[in-house]
Amino acid sequence: MKRAFMRRLALACAAGALLSVWGFPVIWALLTSFKTERDVLAYPPKILFEPSLASYRDVLSGASSIVPNLVSSIIVASGATLLTLLFAVPAGYALARLDLPGKRASGFYVLATQMLPPVGLIIPYYLVLQRLGALDTYAGLIVIYLTFSLPFAIWLLVSYFEDVPREMEEAALLDRAGRLRAFWYVILPQVRGGIAVTTVFIFLNAWNEFLFAVVLGGNRVRPVTVAMFNFISVEQTRWASLAAGAMIAMAPVMLLGLIAQKHIVKGLTVGAVKGGGRR
Amino acid sequence: MTSRGAGVSLRNIVKRHGNVTALKGIDLDIRPGEFFALLGPSGSGKTTTLRILAGLEAHDAGKVILDGRDVTGTDPGERDVAMVFQSYALYPHMSVYENIAFPLRMVKTPSAEIDRAVRESASRVKIEHLLERRPGQLSGGQQQRCALARAIVRKPRLFLLDEPLSNLDAKLRLETRVELRKLQRALDVTAVYVTHDQEEAMTIADRLAIFMEGAIVQTGTPEDVFRRPATVEVATFLGNPPMNLMPGRLSGHDVVIADHRMRLDADYGAERDVLVGVQPSRIEVGAEGIAAHVDLTEQLGDSVIVDLQLGATRVRAKLPERSRLAEGARVHVRFDAADMHLFDPETHRRL
Repeated sequence: MKRAFMRRLALACAAGALLSVWGFPVIWALLTSFKTERDVLAYPPKILFEPSLASYRDVLSGASSIVPNLVSSIIVASGATLLTLLFAVPAGYALARLDLPGKRASGFYVLATQMLPPVGLIIPYYLVLQRLGALDTYAGLIVIYLTFSLPFAIWLLVSYFEDVPREMEEAALLDRAGRLRAFWYVILPQVRGGIAVTTVFIFLNAWNEFLFAVVLGGNRVRPVTVAMFNFISVEQTRWASLAAGAMIAMAPVMLLGLIAQKHIVKGLTVGAVKGGGRR
Repeated sequence: MTSRGAGVSLRNIVKRHGNVTALKGIDLDIRPGEFFALLGPSGSGKTTTLRILAGLEAHDAGKVILDGRDVTGTDPGERDVAMVFQSYALYPHMSVYENIAFPLRMVKTPSAEIDRAVRESASRVKIEHLLERRPGQLSGGQQQRCALARAIVRKPRLFLLDEPLSNLDAKLRLETRVELRKLQRALDVTAVYVTHDQEEAMTIADRLAIFMEGAIVQTGTPEDVFRRPATVEVATFLGNPPMNLMPGRLSGHDVVIADHRMRLDADYGAERDVLVGVQPSRIEVGAEGIAAHVDLTEQLGDSVIVDLQLGATRVRAKLPERSRLAEGARVHVRFDAADMHLFDPETHRRL
């Protein structure tokens, strides 16, 4: 009894320590976002201060509003996510199931693209988009994001599809579902956990992306990451506004995480097949 | 009596996996309404044959004929067959009800009719109280019944079963075996049943085909194959314990085994080597016959299995449990000429 309690206490302490490491910057930013610019720069830092919503007003409705940038981010991130899934789901299924020539080689290619450092691609991508007249357009940026997210999503989804027993699909074929309906009614529900995971990954990557957005976007397409960068200028850094912007930019991501968590359920397919306890 | 079940014919089915020939020309005729078992050790091609029959696997040569119609190359859905998989392959995200309803939904059956059919199938296999559950909440036996209900719900005329009992425990397996047979009779369908368990095949099937290394070595009723195994391989695959084999020397009406001469019913001509097969239950231990000594005895309750050493050959006898033989005892064994199966030692075929 006592041992068990001590064990739990030790675990709780360890978890608390880890949580505070993760939480400190977030909490610091949260506090900063409620400070005035003067309080932010106070030394020693003020723990007790008069909370102010001035920074939030500033980044939401002020001269440097980030609302249009949030819209930009949503368009880019959702566009990239939707397009990625549209291609990655069928591609992942095909790679997992069908006997295609060069299947193994394509798996390697998919991984190889992940090994390139993104910085090395900026100049070629810039030139390609420029010649296509797609610089600073949503389509241009989304396509560039696809080149990274698609291989990764396919590679992730293949493993989920491979976990679906072949016999389940064959049973559906014998039940006269045909390939398409077998895929829609039987296979796809088995991999919804994988699709949720993939969606979160792709969306987060696109939402948080900065490097390509700042170089290949600019005026018309300026995601929130780029907009926040503008709070840091030569004359001054507007820490409070930056923190408020970061808090607002985090909100949709948190929301997505919460929704997806419900779908990333373990043991969804337990009992389908003897001994089949998978994700 | 005519059956509503489908007739099945396979004509010279060949299947290759790369350089390996998995099926070397399978010919099979299954009559309407028959319970037909494909029996053989693992890797002998019986499951592949079933999958080709279902249309789940393509073959390299030959024809699949269902009810006189050549269905070679058609999709599984077009063949009006239902299958129970070894793993059951239930849809884990659907309730038992939806699992059973699925084949009907796929052909756009009106929902009132679906409801009636689902409940009827479920009650036939006694799972009507489990319809709201998910497959993951069922025991192995219940899952198996759910798979059966899904297979029978749309009243197919051909029923394919791929080792459906292998995941059940021994007692449940025996019960389900009997129920499966009754169900097949009641529905009046043709059933093709794959198993590696010879006892299962012998008890459940009207007829069976024995597969060895991608070919059918014998087809017939369970009695036929048990009484007159066509090859040494069949003889040693069937029965528990399997048939004993003893090298012998054949000439005319006589056979010599371990220096013991015995008279045969027929004349086998010139002198030659032979393999003599005798079923364990046909061996008697007594005062006369071939000299042997008892190596080991195993009590089975109602009988006893005795391992005997006859010179260089080992023989197993199944004797009544009252026969008390001490291990190491010197005895004599004998058997009737009518119980001897003679095989060619070269070709392994029955003489």
